[in-house]
Amino acid sequence: MKKRSALQGTKCRVVVFLFSLLSVHFSSFSDLDAKVYIDINSPAFRKLPIAVSDFSGTFGRDIPEVIIDDLDFTGLFLCLDRSAFIEAPSNPFQQRNWSAIGAEAVVKGMVRNDRNLVVVVSLYDVIEGRELFRKEYQSEPSLLRPLAHTIANDIYMQLTGQKGIFRTRIAYVVRKSGSDELMMGDWDGMRTYRMGVKGRVMLGPRWAKDGSKLLYSSERNRQWGIYLLDFGKMSERNVFISKGTNIAGDLFPNPDEFVMSSSKEGNQNIYTFKISSSQLKRLTASRGIDVTPSISPDGSLIAFVSDRDGSPQIFTMSREGFDTKRITFSGSYNTSPAWSPKGDRIAFSGRVGGKNQIFTMNPDGSLMTQLTDKGNNEDPSFSPDGRCITFSSDRDGEKAVYIMRANGEAQKRITPKGIKAFAPRWSPN
Amino acid sequence: MKNLFVAVTVMLALSLSGCAKKQVAGPTEMQQPTAAEQQVKKAPEKITEEKVAKVETKELPSKVEEISGMFEDILFDFDRYDIREDAKPVLKKVSDHLIKNTAQGILIEGHCDERGTSEYNLGLGDRRAKATRDYLVSLGVPSSRIEMISYGKEKPFCNEHTEECWAKNRRSHFVIMKGKM
Repeated sequence: MKKRSALQGTKCRVVVFLFSLLSVHFSSFSDLDAKVYIDINSPAFRKLPIAVSDFSGTFGRDIPEVIIDDLDFTGLFLCLDRSAFIEAPSNPFQQRNWSAIGAEAVVKGMVRNDRNLVVVVSLYDVIEGRELFRKEYQSEPSLLRPLAHTIANDIYMQLTGQKGIFRTRIAYVVRKSGSDELMMGDWDGMRTYRMGVKGRVMLGPRWAKDGSKLLYSSERNRQWGIYLLDFGKMSERNVFISKGTNIAGDLFPNPDEFVMSSSKEGNQNIYTFKISSSQLKRLTASRGIDVTPSISPDGSLIAFVSDRDGSPQIFTMSREGFDTKRITFSGSYNTSPAWSPKGDRIAFSGRVGGKNQIFTMNPDGSLMTQLTDKGNNEDPSFSPDGRCITFSSDRDGEKAVYIMRANGEAQKRITPKGIKAFAPRWSPN
Repeated sequence: MKNLFVAVTVMLALSLSGCAKKQVAGPTEMQQPTAAEQQVKKAPEKITEEKVAKVETKELPSKVEEISGMFEDILFDFDRYDIREDAKPVLKKVSDHLIKNTAQGILIEGHCDERGTSEYNLGLGDRRAKATRDYLVSLGVPSSRIEMISYGKEKPFCNEHTEECWAKNRRSHFVIMKGKM
């Protein structure tokens, strides 16, 4: 009797073992046809050592420097120091020159500057000793940085399979005495320019999903209005105005409609507004202050702030205003929710020890993680790949715009000292 | 049992061979590109950028004459919007003035200190302006002559990061309006 059941036990264990082997086997089929250089979804235990060589020709170092800064900021690459490189930029790639210094990927290039910039770039796999791609890029000399960012995007795509963010932009508000105005710059803070739009006070611009429009609120002539800046038409249009304080929220995936908050009926409430039909629909009716609506990437949910329970906390509801759920329960002051374009996290500003800090959490409020701890940090906004966050901070004295990785690493200021900048929003593309 | 053992070995071998294949494959094609294929370049990518939208906002001149400073600000406690006792004498002066000067209106600006976030503070500023208006109405001022606006923490009276300055920023500020409101 005992012997039989022992045998059955063994059989069982063998079956389970076989089954687990099979599952591992089948799951590995999905990446069977692609070498995994960087698995962007697994925790980054080890950065990929990459060597970006100086390019031969004019602007030999300018373009690689942009590429190195871009790749370095992702936290996925270990950019090797050029002082260790053995191979001259103009010499052809030789595997042993790079394996000797521990590089696993190498970027080499050549620049010509005849009226236009012409750049040929190659990316090499050192371990296999072969070229992964060779590509030519052209631009006017004034677009050297966008050209370098495009190269960085292509390298990033080749090694991670994901779209890079290196040509994205950040819009923000700059405050001078007497007026606020809208500014735009590259995600790294370079090439900033005024958009010419101003008001006595302006609040956080919101991007249309295709990057062609910005929605924002501005107080002009003692009235709070919501305005739409259309890059294609080069025009600014007042899309909503009324008594009370009107604050622009996100645009829906269809940019004809947006969420907003307004105190036109007394307390701040959340509304949706359709531009083409001027149709205003109220979504909340609490006696509290309901503000800062943020739309989920698929447009089905709205996160917002309400003090209906006594203190400002974050809630979610459907886009029709139903199924309202409170999602923050720790801390006495949680505001400014911003949904990640990946839909998996919400960033917000919560008060800790008397100061505002940036947190992220799951859309149900679980797994709250604090990301900052210096100064007052507000207005978080995710990059389109959900891997970085821009925010404002007064840790250096004056409010300025910062960026960081979405896990809180690599926090750095991207607006210069001496200007008051805040309410940044990362472009969707 | 022996058959089972063989089956297990075969399964193991199959699985392991699958793993081995994974490491050898390149990121794009399964075969190595030939030297000739490597020479073939894709069409060069031309980097361009749309011309920047530049719009100059034209602010229309106000039709209303504004007089600031006729009355002092009334202050509020932190996170609160109820009218304090020390505000009542000022509010009495304001209501007396408006009741006497029927052609004038008043704009109440609601403000907050710098703590907390912009948008929530705009809501708090609304509440402070509204509480102020309600009190003036209770003193006999017609609500049609009272306008309200919130500036939240965006237009502070002072900029220091001290309790003293914060207390001065938590205020309702009065602006007399002459002319069409």
